[in-house]
Amino acid sequence: MRFEGVPIDLCFHCLKDQFGPQTFDGLTLGAIYALIALGYTLVYGVLQLINFAHSEIFMVGVFASLFAMHAMGIEQGDPAKTGFVLLGVLLLVTLAGMLMSGATAVVMERIAYRPLRKRKAPRLAFLITAIGISLTLQEFFAIRYGRNQLGVPRVLEKKTLFVIGGANVRTDKVLVLVAAFLLMFALDRFVTSSRLGRGIRATAQDAETAQLMGVNIDRVVMLTFLLGGLLAGAAGTLYGVFFEAARYNIGFLPGIKAFTAAVLGGIGNIRGALIGGLVLGLLENYGSAVLGVQWKDVFAFTMLVLVLLFRPTGLLGESLGRARA
Amino acid sequence: MPHARARTIRAVAVLAVVAAMGLVACGKSKKSTSASTGKTVYIGFVGAKTGDNANLGINIRDGIKVAIDEENAKKDGPTIALKEFDTAGDPAQATTVAPQFIQDTSIIGTVGPAFSGETKALIPLYQDAKLVFISPSATNVKLPTIVSPETVFHRVIADDALQASGIASYLSQTVKPKSVAFINDNSEYGKGLAVDVQRLSVDKGIKAATTQVIDPKAQDFSATVNAVKASGADTVFYGGYYAAAGLLRKQLVDAGVKGTFVSGDGSLDKGFVTAAGPAAAEGAKLTCPCNLAFSSSTGALKTFYDQFKKDIGKDPGLYSPEAYDAAKILIKGIKAGNTTRAALLDYVNNKVGSYAGISKTIKFESNGNIGSTQFFVFEVKGAEIAPSQTIVADKPAETTTTAGSGGSSGSSTTVTGSSGSTTTTVASTTTSKP
Repeated sequence: MRFEGVPIDLCFHCLKDQFGPQTFDGLTLGAIYALIALGYTLVYGVLQLINFAHSEIFMVGVFASLFAMHAMGIEQGDPAKTGFVLLGVLLLVTLAGMLMSGATAVVMERIAYRPLRKRKAPRLAFLITAIGISLTLQEFFAIRYGRNQLGVPRVLEKKTLFVIGGANVRTDKVLVLVAAFLLMFALDRFVTSSRLGRGIRATAQDAETAQLMGVNIDRVVMLTFLLGGLLAGAAGTLYGVFFEAARYNIGFLPGIKAFTAAVLGGIGNIRGALIGGLVLGLLENYGSAVLGVQWKDVFAFTMLVLVLLFRPTGLLGESLGRARA
Repeated sequence: MPHARARTIRAVAVLAVVAAMGLVACGKSKKSTSASTGKTVYIGFVGAKTGDNANLGINIRDGIKVAIDEENAKKDGPTIALKEFDTAGDPAQATTVAPQFIQDTSIIGTVGPAFSGETKALIPLYQDAKLVFISPSATNVKLPTIVSPETVFHRVIADDALQASGIASYLSQTVKPKSVAFINDNSEYGKGLAVDVQRLSVDKGIKAATTQVIDPKAQDFSATVNAVKASGADTVFYGGYYAAAGLLRKQLVDAGVKGTFVSGDGSLDKGFVTAAGPAAAEGAKLTCPCNLAFSSSTGALKTFYDQFKKDIGKDPGLYSPEAYDAAKILIKGIKAGNTTRAALLDYVNNKVGSYAGISKTIKFESNGNIGSTQFFVFEVKGAEIAPSQTIVADKPAETTTTAGSGGSSGSSTTVTGSSGSTTTTVASTTTSKP
């Protein structure tokens, strides 16, 4: 069928044939989107700010994990690791990614956002700063490390563990899913149960009252950025292990997708970011199966618009501050 | 007061944006390698120095440099100098940069644009300014007919009609696949090539398992990979550039689609091996209507290889020999006394004759194409690109893909192996245009 000269070949049987693989792969990529989306949603919940530089925090995580591998002497073409060595390498690399991203986020907050906050600058100033930081980080990495794609060495052998429903359950996909869910679960417990988490939720609900109640707003904001950065760094490491590529603009597309996921699930809602990420991953893959890969983004964003039409606050709707304990 | 401050911030923001746009428009680097004394004549390089596929543009720039340095050392005419213009391989950016060299009347010819997309965007500007250009690498079939009449377009590489014909023959005679998945990146070059390869392959009786498109800016091709796997194809052809080609190949192999991977000249770069990883890149077949210069080359190519290695410090890459030849043609015209745009345009159109280049013998046809029929297949062996086969194809008959004319190419090909592979001569079939 053609629509104004543009080809759309609807292939519903493609979806049926590929349902297993597209679902599993969609969930895997969706888990990475969710990790990044948490950073957007946390910062928005607390500061009502869309942190456009978050995609570059993610990119820093990808590079940091690559450098950690190089520092350990692992180069492209080396044989994959196994057993405890593998575990150790993965942990170290993830730690490196998380720490670098977290540090970048905190520094960014300190030197770029806090002065604006102190001076009660209008929203526009925050947005401009965010875009400026995003460009600065991108260009810094581009000039320092070149604009070519860098290859990330393979540390985990990508073996197919088993096939279920046609889905190729591979070691690296399992790693991504398990790691992402663990981290998201940890964050959820932290925000709902710990004292610092309560501080975040209080600040998100009403910053002035929280301050009156003795919450240190500056520390809460720093913690929010740190948490978002840690998660983005973990996402970056997983992304690097999964796609084995690093590039100065690698954060751009995942950043947009993750932001979309956060909005889809309900911006400012942690569980919403999780659901939004997974749903977006699934929608993208289902859409490409039925409509063709060219229509993937159109399909995903159309779904977003439809959801927002009928549920403007997103799928889960509730905000960070009003979440149930 | 919040209102006044908001207004100030808004004003500053607007000023900043305007200033940034102005800087971008006027500030792209214009480096020129000028020489010591005497009259200096400028030629331009237009191509990707930055961006995902910058290697291809840099290869061309370096090939030009070697040619210029050689000619300047002869000291038998005006000094030639190069002005470089970075398009990042992006048609939109190319259009932004174009006024810089179109309006600089000291530039009387350019080598490049490099990519088909940006060439398509810039031809009208070149034609208006009657500025001659020779592209070492833009292979899309429709480029000579973008504007009409057209006098400025020239290329020293055979177009994708030849490459598509060669790939289709290579697939049907050497690869002999059960079915092929055709994937492209939706670019001017990639889509054009993949569509033509598919059409010609199907004409030769090859089964097309599926046609897919990827977004080369993304990393995740899982949807495409799953579709290819579900289609059962044992061979994959990709039309596009090396950065995405390598990633695609890696993801295909990881998903279990391990059959032959064939791609065109856009993928013929070390960057493909880096992107795919040495394990997945092994055995990939990369083709070109152009030849590469290796340390094992002979004759003029070897001389070029040595000179390039000495001047630039690394191995010559894809299109370096073509860029060298293109620059030499322009310089030959300049040293023959054609130092204005009109004169150089006339020289390239009418007075080049048959030029013995290092990449091939160059004789421009009236529309700027060349009549080369050589087609090369390379293979990735041990993380390096090595020659595999040379195919001599007849130039296909005029093919058009517009509605109404159904001509299919008639081509006969002779497959000859180089360095040890078997030689096979194939019965030729010609179909005439209805």
